[in-house]
Amino acid sequence: MLAVNNVTKKYGKLIANDNISFGVNAGEVSLLLGPNGAGKSTLIKCISGLLKFTGSIGICGNSNKTLQAKRDLGYIPEVPALYDMLTIWEHMEFIARAYSLENWRDRAEKLIERFELDDKKKKLGSELSKGMQQKLSICCGFLPQPKLILFDEPMVGLDPQAIKELKNMIIEQQQAGNAILISTHMLDSVNGFWNSVNIMMDGKIVTCRKRNEMEEAEEDLETLFFRITKREN
Amino acid sequence: MKALAYLILTRTKNKILALRKKPGLMILYAFILVFIIAFILYQIFAPKLSTTKMHIDQRYMYMFLSGFGLLYLFTFTYSGISTGSTFFTMADVGLLFVAPISTRKILFYGLLSTIGKSMITSIFIFYQIPNLVDTFGFGFRDIVSLFIIYTVMIFFCQIYSIGIYIFSNCNQNRKNIVKTLLYVFFAILIIATYMISQKEQVGLLGAVRLLVDHKLFGYLPIVGWVTMFLKGILTGSIVNAMIALALFLVSSVLIVSLLTSQEADYYEDVLQSTEVTYQRLKDYKEGKRTSSNINRKVKVMDNDKGLQKGKGAISFAYKHLLEMKRSSRLIFVDNITLFTVIGTGIAGYSIKNEWGSYVILASLIYIQFFITIVGRLKLELVKPYIYMVPEPPFKKLVAASVSSLLKPCVDSIFIFGALALVGGASILDCIFMAIAYSSSGAVFLGLTLVYQRVLGGQPNKVAKVFIGIFLMISLFTPGVVVSILISFFVLPESLQFLSTLPYSIMSLLAATIMFFACRNILDNAEVSQGM
Repeated sequence: MLAVNNVTKKYGKLIANDNISFGVNAGEVSLLLGPNGAGKSTLIKCISGLLKFTGSIGICGNSNKTLQAKRDLGYIPEVPALYDMLTIWEHMEFIARAYSLENWRDRAEKLIERFELDDKKKKLGSELSKGMQQKLSICCGFLPQPKLILFDEPMVGLDPQAIKELKNMIIEQQQAGNAILISTHMLDSVNGFWNSVNIMMDGKIVTCRKRNEMEEAEEDLETLFFRITKREN
Repeated sequence: MKALAYLILTRTKNKILALRKKPGLMILYAFILVFIIAFILYQIFAPKLSTTKMHIDQRYMYMFLSGFGLLYLFTFTYSGISTGSTFFTMADVGLLFVAPISTRKILFYGLLSTIGKSMITSIFIFYQIPNLVDTFGFGFRDIVSLFIIYTVMIFFCQIYSIGIYIFSNCNQNRKNIVKTLLYVFFAILIIATYMISQKEQVGLLGAVRLLVDHKLFGYLPIVGWVTMFLKGILTGSIVNAMIALALFLVSSVLIVSLLTSQEADYYEDVLQSTEVTYQRLKDYKEGKRTSSNINRKVKVMDNDKGLQKGKGAISFAYKHLLEMKRSSRLIFVDNITLFTVIGTGIAGYSIKNEWGSYVILASLIYIQFFITIVGRLKLELVKPYIYMVPEPPFKKLVAASVSSLLKPCVDSIFIFGALALVGGASILDCIFMAIAYSSSGAVFLGLTLVYQRVLGGQPNKVAKVFIGIFLMISLFTPGVVVSILISFFVLPESLQFLSTLPYSIMSLLAATIMFFACRNILDNAEVSQGM
């Protein structure tokens, strides 16, 4: 579903992503872990088509710059990118129109209901709290029913109810055969449903593991993370 | 105090060191410094060649200064009524306010920081040295005095704004009193101007000139005090200059005493303003805030129907229309249109010679450059949607530019309508000048794309300015030259209204080429972090 091959991203002399290759299969929740500044957000932005890079990125068999790849991709950024002068409902309408979606209204209603935004449909983007902005950003990402969803620190700013709801939604996507890539520092929050993990350090993926491999080795996510990033006390 | 002294010194040191990473700013500061030094040396060593050169009446300088004073008085009174002003940053709130340091010391630190910021704000005065010397015959002492009083005015206005906030916070009656007093103040000035014009049989300009030169005017808060100080320096009346400074000082001390009095908790008083200032700065950096949406409270009606139209790329255009409707009820007609129309009307009324209309058109196009570069396309480029929506990049680009292309067209109807009505320019001239203005808007929009294409997502601001000026000159010069040549050598007197047409055609051509050259920009560029 997602194939990243030899991706390198440089900012001047700084190499943010250094020849990265990995993939995420259908029905798989893959984690992207690493300390601050490891290059996780940059990699996610490269996959989303927001940054230039060398190498290739395929989404459902198409280059990430093609229209078909864009149709198959959902991206929930670390900092919600909303329009100040549109209401919650108008954000959903805009996404539906821009993506030329059909029969989207019921789905949009359900999404904003799940995140308890249904009584705030007329609120403008500029009037929303940080948590509510994040919820709306997630709704916008889910509305086009993408086959690959990229999350960059999705739990930050969410209340416990929203975190629970988001986890459920991720599991539903997983069961529906969609691929999910999550960049996060909150290891506990993803413990229940991940299938593979990629740990980044200094712009490189230093470790890729499958869940079953780790379970066989009786190693948990946190221990692996600290061992790899050499931060274990 | 050690911590605060450390903070001030370290921040200053780091700001200077940070200039190494901002060569453009360093060049600017070096340029100003060299300018000042050269001016001082010139003042000391240059022979006094002639004293017979005629300079403009210095009362014009009092008018400029009073104009700034009035603007600040109005702005800071209104900010005082809403959020107040602040001496602090969010870092001060988070780290200093909770630290075991005396609140008075922290206030002193805030005042010192504000003086520093006010001085930096006033530095532009030194940039005007040639004008001040040439036009008003200012010497070194006069320029330094102007710098000092301008700094004092900006510094005092911030204290004044906090004073208004403390007085009127959460009390609508007091807010109304402040507003009424402000309007009465302005009404007095208008009435006084009218009375002088009647009594002395002079025009509006002459009356204002006499007003700012009047002895009593010097005692009016802010506007009068600044004038009194400068007049005192220029006329050698040091007593008057000292009185003006004393008025600023006493008023500042009174407000600061109010701030530190037992009833007032200044942490609380400056907190909201600090947060608002922080958010505004953040919005400016991200390109969210434009002059047309500042301070406007938007209310969404129950019967508001949203976008209603559009599918695919064109949704961006309909979204922009909706956003513009929220910013201004008349969609394309906003504060910018209003101010430009008023300015054009005044200019048209004042300049009534053969080339007056063309000078106004050139000035309007110059101003338009700054308006267009903060347009909606630019705001769109800092969000991911325009890159991610599955539509061809050129379609998205055009759709996201529609509102920015239409705005100058709508603006031009009102602007050149005003020029025809008030300035007496011919209708045909105005129609073709409106076309020239609208086509310039398209060129400026094209430039926004070229920046993104040439400089990528995070362009250096200095590079942007230089490339912008270079491109502007390169793009407009041929059109202007051809227009002038055709006007002089081809067009008969009866068809002179067509003289701007070659410029318009060449501008539209340039805009089309730029759009076409940048047609795939959304696939090849990077999401911009506040272009």
